[in-house]
Amino acid sequence: MKILVPIKRVIDYAIKIRVDPTKGARGVQLSNVKMSMNPFCEIAIEEAIRLKEKTKTSAEVVAVSIGPKQCTETLRTALAMGADRGIHIETKADVRGDYVDMQPWGIATLLKGVVEREGGVDLVLLGKQSIDSDCGQTGTLLAGLLNAPQATFASKVDRGDDGSFTVERETDSGTEVIKIKPTTLPAIITCDLRLNTPRYPTMPNIMKAKKKPVETISLEAMVQELGLNLDEVLSRKNEVVEVYEPPPRKEGEMVGDVMELLAKLKEKGLVA
Amino acid sequence: MATLLSSSFRRAIADVARGNNVTSIRSRIDGVPSYSSMAVRSRLASSSSSSSSSLSTPPSFAELFNPTDDHRALRESVRSFAARELEPQALSYNRNEKFNVDLFRKFGSRDDGLGILGLTVPVIYGGTGMNDATSVSIVHEELSYSDPSLCLSYLAHSILFANNLAANGSKEQLAKFLPGVCDGSKICGMCMSEPNAGTDVLGMRTRASYDESRDGYVINGTKMWITNGTITGDETGDMYLVYARTGEDRGDITQFIVEGGTSGFTVGQKINDKLGMRSSPTAELVFEDVFVPSRTHLVGELNGATLCMMRNLEIERVALAAMAVGIARRALDEMIRYASSRPAFGRPNLYGFGQIQRHISESYAEYMAGKAYLYGFANGLDLTSCGNGLDADGVKLYCARMAKDVSDRAIQVMGGYGYVGEYTVERLWRDSKLLEIGGGTNESHHKNMSRDLLRLSGNGLE
Repeated sequence: MKILVPIKRVIDYAIKIRVDPTKGARGVQLSNVKMSMNPFCEIAIEEAIRLKEKTKTSAEVVAVSIGPKQCTETLRTALAMGADRGIHIETKADVRGDYVDMQPWGIATLLKGVVEREGGVDLVLLGKQSIDSDCGQTGTLLAGLLNAPQATFASKVDRGDDGSFTVERETDSGTEVIKIKPTTLPAIITCDLRLNTPRYPTMPNIMKAKKKPVETISLEAMVQELGLNLDEVLSRKNEVVEVYEPPPRKEGEMVGDVMELLAKLKEKGLVA
Repeated sequence: MATLLSSSFRRAIADVARGNNVTSIRSRIDGVPSYSSMAVRSRLASSSSSSSSSLSTPPSFAELFNPTDDHRALRESVRSFAARELEPQALSYNRNEKFNVDLFRKFGSRDDGLGILGLTVPVIYGGTGMNDATSVSIVHEELSYSDPSLCLSYLAHSILFANNLAANGSKEQLAKFLPGVCDGSKICGMCMSEPNAGTDVLGMRTRASYDESRDGYVINGTKMWITNGTITGDETGDMYLVYARTGEDRGDITQFIVEGGTSGFTVGQKINDKLGMRSSPTAELVFEDVFVPSRTHLVGELNGATLCMMRNLEIERVALAAMAVGIARRALDEMIRYASSRPAFGRPNLYGFGQIQRHISESYAEYMAGKAYLYGFANGLDLTSCGNGLDADGVKLYCARMAKDVSDRAIQVMGGYGYVGEYTVERLWRDSKLLEIGGGTNESHHKNMSRDLLRLSGNGLE
């Protein structure tokens, strides 16, 4: 079994985002900010490793990341957690991955190429969304481009002996169970928060991960190898017009008694 | 704009990292905030300020504090472990003077633990193989940020025992004893001080006499202030390196391995009611005709342990200085956060008040000075060498005092809140005091350093 897990490097979940108002659409500050693996991607890696641990036959987990040089750190984390090897499609340092430059269409186009280049991929596990752009489109676009079966927002994933995947999804109307039948195409599954709790990389595993292979290839070289069009991969289907911090909460107003409160509410049209 | 939408997710995940239980997080994602997560959120929210620029320090500091990718990975790994595992338990274990054995064993490599108990021990003996003073500093700084006391037990085990044995033991001894030390199944320490011999360490009176008929040594004496001396309260821990007198000269000291359960080796008393470091167990250990075989339990050369002792004291002092740096960083974070959210005299926070400005800025400058001295020294320290005492004493002398001052200012900035346990800084203040006593008193550093500086004999420092 071969599992491909695309992972994204984003601003660490615990960091408070700073916006430089003079930078327009590129206002979210990325320099001197701690970056980590997107939490949903961590969940996807964890699930891939669990599926590998459970399978009776041999299995390989391949992590792939698209982004600047530092993405190798993110790939090393995936390898320390238990992935077998990494592929890093390196973009130039000033290309942003948070929707400002690269967008899900381009990423999914590249990932389709990676799936075909790898060959024999049984499953692509992705986070349901990344916490920087919150698009939640890459997995579904990839399934569409590959014309492959998909299940989104997985809260439980089981693999049958016949190569099928049974996926539970939590929906507003209850839990839905989907069976993805085995085909010649990989199954595409996107992972929800409830799927698992990712392990943390231990020091011995971090040291061992240094010996695992990471293939680094520039975006330009990969695009050429896959026979894609660089402009198409980098093209922005939508344009980010503006980015700004939430307005600070305004100070409250003190009122003397209930009657005054009611009067104020009526005045503002909040009560009839 | 889209970037900002996920802030609720960030907070939810941050709560997970801070040890809130998963149910409460999930209920909040579903739109039902739980009481505990709201408390955390309001505390987190208090860290926000009106400034939109992030703190920027020159990259030379990043290189000084994390010289290699391995060091950065180590720091990140230990930091996230500390936030997830140490932080939620520190207050209650310290308050109740309880040693968190289960958590301590998670430092080991067994059961996919963090794998840092044998940090400096070669990989073939079960260790992590990060045999450099920078790695030692990083781990101690990061653990002490959350729980200096548990870090002290870690130090006794991984530096005073494991590192010392790895540096001075035979291959057979390393293969026999270290795997259990690294995986977390054994809890260990080191015995040097005695009831009447502390700074005057060579004044120790514990004696090991050779017994020819059994080819071994019989140890008699009492050792004091032994970190990890007892785990249960009435029995000793699993294994110790014990310094004992084996000749007539003042420097005739030999090092032995003594295992828990050996006949005549008992706990004199568990030392209770310490000012700080309360979740780290301390004991007096008594040796009455304790027999150890020479071949397997004598470490290094007969009468040759003074060198081992001095060499291991250097790395111990670096580790203690790193603990001080971790304490100071935490105290700073706490006072900065508090001062930014506490309204007073009609102002939204305390930053407009000169007295507070002074507490915070002086603390930061001293913290950075101590941290730069620490890593500047540690990055070049060869653990197999000796004679680096001047700066090993120097970093600990400076950083211990610095941590005490910074945590004291944190209490002052936070006023009544700083004075109670829930706000952490009073614990840091109490813990920091030990760093002026353990692993060498300030006075021993003064003595050693002035002796070394006298040797310049009038030549300049550089």
